Amino acid sequence: MKVKFTLNGRLVELDVDPRETLINTLRLRLRVKSVKRGCERGECGACTVLVNGNPVTSCILLTIQVNGAEITTVEGLVKDVLFERLAKNFIDSGAVQCGFCTPGVILTAYAGIKQGKIRGSEDVKEYVSNLCRCTGYVKIIEAIAKTVREVLSSEH
Amino acid sequence: MSTEFKFIGKKTPRKDAEAKVTGALKYTYDLEIPGMLIGRIVRSPYAFADIRRIDVSEAMRMGAVVITPSDIPQKPYNPRLVSISEVTFKDTYILTYKPRYLGEPIAAVAASSEELAQKASESIKIEFERVYKPILDPLEAMKPESPRIHEKIMKGDKWIEVNNNIAARLDYDEGDVDRGFEEADVVIERTFKTGKRYHMQLEPKAVLVIPEPSGKLTIYTTTQTIHNTRILISQLFDIPESRINVVRVPIGGSFGSSIQTNYLVPIAVALALKAKKPVKIAYTREEDMLDHSNFVFHFKIKIGARRNGVFTAAEFTNILDVGAHQVQPYPLLGTSLGWFVSMYKWKNIRYRGIAVYTNKVPGCALRGYGAPEVQWAVETLVDEIAEKLGIDPVDLRLNNYVGRGEIFWGQGPTVRSVIRSDGVPELLLKGREIIRWNERGNPREKKGRFRRGIGVGRGFHTSGAGGPISGEVIDYTGCILKLNEDGTLDYITALQDHGGGTLDAHVKIIAEELGIPPELVNIATASTETTPYDVCTHASRGTYVGGECARRAAQIVKQRILEVALRIIDRAVNPEALRISYDEGLKQAIVYVEGTDIKLTLAEIARISWQRNWGTIGAFVSYRATSAPPSFTVYYVEVEVDTWTGIVRPVRVVAGADVGTPINPDMVEGQLHGGFAMAWGMAFTENTVYDPVTGEIMGRGLITDYKIPTAADVPIPEEFTIIIAKTYEPTGPFGAKGLGEAAMNPAVAAILNAVYNAIGIRFYELPVTPDKVIEALEERGELEW
Amino acid sequence: MMFTIPEDIEFIVPRDLKETLELMSKLSDVKVLAGGTDLVIDLKTGRFKPKHVIYIGGLRELKYICDINGALHIGALTTIQEILDSKIIAEKTPLLRATAEKFAYWQVRNIATIGGNLCNASPAADTAPPLLVYDAVIKAESVRGSRLIPIREFFKGPRQTALKRDELVTEIIVPYKSLENSGYSYLKAGRRRGYDISLVAVACAVRVERGIISDVRIALNSVAPIPVRAVSVEKVLIDKKPSIEIIEESSRLVVHDISPISDVRAPSDYRQYMAKLLTREALLVALKKIGVM
Repeated sequence: MKVKFTLNGRLVELDVDPRETLINTLRLRLRVKSVKRGCERGECGACTVLVNGNPVTSCILLTIQVNGAEITTVEGLVKDVLFERLAKNFIDSGAVQCGFCTPGVILTAYAGIKQGKIRGSEDVKEYVSNLCRCTGYVKIIEAIAKTVREVLSSEH
Repeated sequence: MSTEFKFIGKKTPRKDAEAKVTGALKYTYDLEIPGMLIGRIVRSPYAFADIRRIDVSEAMRMGAVVITPSDIPQKPYNPRLVSISEVTFKDTYILTYKPRYLGEPIAAVAASSEELAQKASESIKIEFERVYKPILDPLEAMKPESPRIHEKIMKGDKWIEVNNNIAARLDYDEGDVDRGFEEADVVIERTFKTGKRYHMQLEPKAVLVIPEPSGKLTIYTTTQTIHNTRILISQLFDIPESRINVVRVPIGGSFGSSIQTNYLVPIAVALALKAKKPVKIAYTREEDMLDHSNFVFHFKIKIGARRNGVFTAAEFTNILDVGAHQVQPYPLLGTSLGWFVSMYKWKNIRYRGIAVYTNKVPGCALRGYGAPEVQWAVETLVDEIAEKLGIDPVDLRLNNYVGRGEIFWGQGPTVRSVIRSDGVPELLLKGREIIRWNERGNPREKKGRFRRGIGVGRGFHTSGAGGPISGEVIDYTGCILKLNEDGTLDYITALQDHGGGTLDAHVKIIAEELGIPPELVNIATASTETTPYDVCTHASRGTYVGGECARRAAQIVKQRILEVALRIIDRAVNPEALRISYDEGLKQAIVYVEGTDIKLTLAEIARISWQRNWGTIGAFVSYRATSAPPSFTVYYVEVEVDTWTGIVRPVRVVAGADVGTPINPDMVEGQLHGGFAMAWGMAFTENTVYDPVTGEIMGRGLITDYKIPTAADVPIPEEFTIIIAKTYEPTGPFGAKGLGEAAMNPAVAAILNAVYNAIGIRFYELPVTPDKVIEALEERGELEW
Repeated sequence: MMFTIPEDIEFIVPRDLKETLELMSKLSDVKVLAGGTDLVIDLKTGRFKPKHVIYIGGLRELKYICDINGALHIGALTTIQEILDSKIIAEKTPLLRATAEKFAYWQVRNIATIGGNLCNASPAADTAPPLLVYDAVIKAESVRGSRLIPIREFFKGPRQTALKRDELVTEIIVPYKSLENSGYSYLKAGRRRGYDISLVAVACAVRVERGIISDVRIALNSVAPIPVRAVSVEKVLIDKKPSIEIIEESSRLVVHDISPISDVRAPSDYRQYMAKLLTREALLVALKKIGVM
């Protein structure tokens, strides 16, 4: 089945088996390795990507479901101002340990801040459900909350 | 001791942070190589069975590469090589006709794609000779009428009979326990039972084996020890170590699950050798849960104390539910004893430890290696004794704990050290203030739906397993440090960073020793053929042992640099006047002669040395620590119990750590946050539950039913206070000790002691799920509704 | 367990609703794929092995929320996040919004559809309790025409619905007029504080006129083979003056409407206890919303 979507701003045209999951298309065909396999059951969030700006677990999405959509992974946000702020705060706060959950967490946080859903620590707990086994989440919450404060104050 | 360090103690970003944040860092799971085959493992559908025949004809017709137990050297092995061979118990086979737990590898296939491999694996037909009822309770397993899960296993190079399904034993006696109890005014005896926790490291285990054209094997895998992986494969397949290279790859968390070489590695090697092509195997999450999980601990502990709050005796019976195969429960019997003995001055001790086989997923070390479980039990009992004696629980601990100047049994009876640094009083007393311990109230007076309580837990972990005499545990490390032609350094070690920032800590230690900024010290790629032996990155030894090794290497390099500098300085300089230090202005290290204006940058020295053919400046160090000092941790936790739903939430946490000199305070905090979250899961939700009839994990291994804490379950950052004690460990690099496991160990106790303070109920079985809380409240007639 | 969906399942992507219905009338052993948050996992793990999978996720004509004559008409492919973000839903059917808020977590809400959640018919279906409270009506279409199935007749058993083999759920009609002056509440019990499958969830709406309860609706999931209305409780409360005693007394009666099982998530005792507790709390919260008690 033919599908067309943009990945990090570039147009992709593929002929995929309808059974192919988005995570497999991204990791195996398009070699996007930032999207991680943590459980393949939509539970852990390590495979999170943004589809039209919304975070989704790519392991339970079929590629045919994103026909016509805009897909974003961390590779595509490297020059984005908000992402750079988030990344810097993650690194400076010590919110990165083994790093396996990190791309998924940052994407979710990015979308949450961009959509105005995350405005403080309580919102982080509400919207960032990704599993992390190393950090205990405290520094992740701090890094995201700090980024939100920076964004809000720069808006004034 | 100077606390004026240039780099140590300051927050520095980790070197791999950017690669992790941009998703550029590749883990084993991400590796691909053209022409590689994908492997899948065929697993036993029964927990206890004997196989008559395996029909692989269909799979072979599909063109898959297939292996069955007949294709594998039938040598029993133990995947964990940390213990000396005389006490290494071997009962595992790479593939087997006698599965002893549901999910045990029977056969394996490799094909050019995941789908083909899956189809091939599903086409394999297994005929069973006999299927037995699985034994899931160690007490059942020990009964004489129970069938034997294993009949003969190897201990070292000898075959031994297994009786009553007992895998190993360890007994210990000190003093006269019975007299000790007679002298006691108060004696308490309790039994404790844990769940069977699963590591839930985010990266499922994976391996990529590449047979090289030269005949060597290159292996990439999720491991905490590249060297032990190499040695094991060498032993299993009779391939010289020099023909196997295991490369260090970033790992997505481990928590002890890859101290042993994971079962998929020898299987992948066997497939690759047969196929003569690269083979990659990567577990699904469910398979990962079948590869490893923690032991189940059954404790019976009796403690006696005199009215004045001094302990007189302790008796500890430890029944370890091993699962179907040994991943070294024997040393665990030893460490459990060691943790117990090192908690408090019991005076007289009796210990009986038995490790028992059951038809469950093999147990392996999970962060703390028995310490969270032992410290939970002990700290619960200490609280109970304190209450009975009317003594403040914090004071009781202060008066009885094993501290400075005393002998500490890190890692068991053959690993003992004298405690030289001890931050316990500082942490207990400061923490007590911050949490407002004196306002915690009495559980009997608390009413209403939401009840709060404060609890304390004190514990420790060892830093590695070094010691003055070699015992049953192998523990040494090594590194190479070399000066490059431009004055930067390459640091080469086999140690692994599971996420805690160990290698970055070493960089800072090197930087501090040499006065060179951390940015100029490179953490080199590492493999078994380019590094000296390191036993394993475990036992919280990364900073203490690895860091000290790095420091010694830096010391040697420093000496050589100064010698070279002397040659360059064309004057009669007194060698003792040469100094090396970090120059803030130039942002590099300079060598200078005190009292003069003679100075050279390290970059100049390196360049000249190169240009003048004076050779490479470097150091090769192999190092064994003579000590395994404890890092103490203290947790004060305030919880709120919802007595209507049985759900508990954390309100405030004060976590104190005595790590000697904190190399990177950020990472210290990160370990405590992570340790607390793990403890929370251990206390309230985590358990793999087995179907009593089939021996299958209920929920089929889906993590829908293995719940670990999420961001919604931890306190907000403002309510998590951390205290780092001001201590200095003289045997550690710049005074540092480890933390990885200490960060978690006493937290469970603190959490459950807090629950007691809230609702007046103690729980002796984990996890304390909401229904258990409600049940307990109901039994007490306290259910408000 | 495997990573990919077996090869021998045929996937068909119809262009529009008409083609979809035709396919459904022609083929047997079919599963319909909308968001896939349940089905894709089930296909991967082999729980379902249908001959055909018809993917309807691209049918935009089934994505809408319209306010018509006192009822919201929600297209079956509307995602849970869209329901959560919708202003009309927040205004007209706030109980549905409250449910969407507690539905799994953000990544899944962006994919899961209300139609899918209902048709999957898990005893724990999150959207069922609020829709039972609203007495929603489910529109099922086929080549033979369309029919309206009241939600109370929709669930037949765990993962079984009243749909005929060739029927597709296209719309959920949620009448809100009758609940306009009611207080509402939604409570969900899980094993930990964050994101979980419900152990028990209760949706409730109650109206008080002239000091007596003139209308009360309570629905629960995860405590019976299908999501249920707590009729035993409702019967006792109707026409009564709201008081803490009557609420407590009536909530206990919920045990007659449920039959919870013990599973790896919770023992049946606990579910039963929580059903009573949440029923009581849901009533109290709903009443408080309209200033009663």
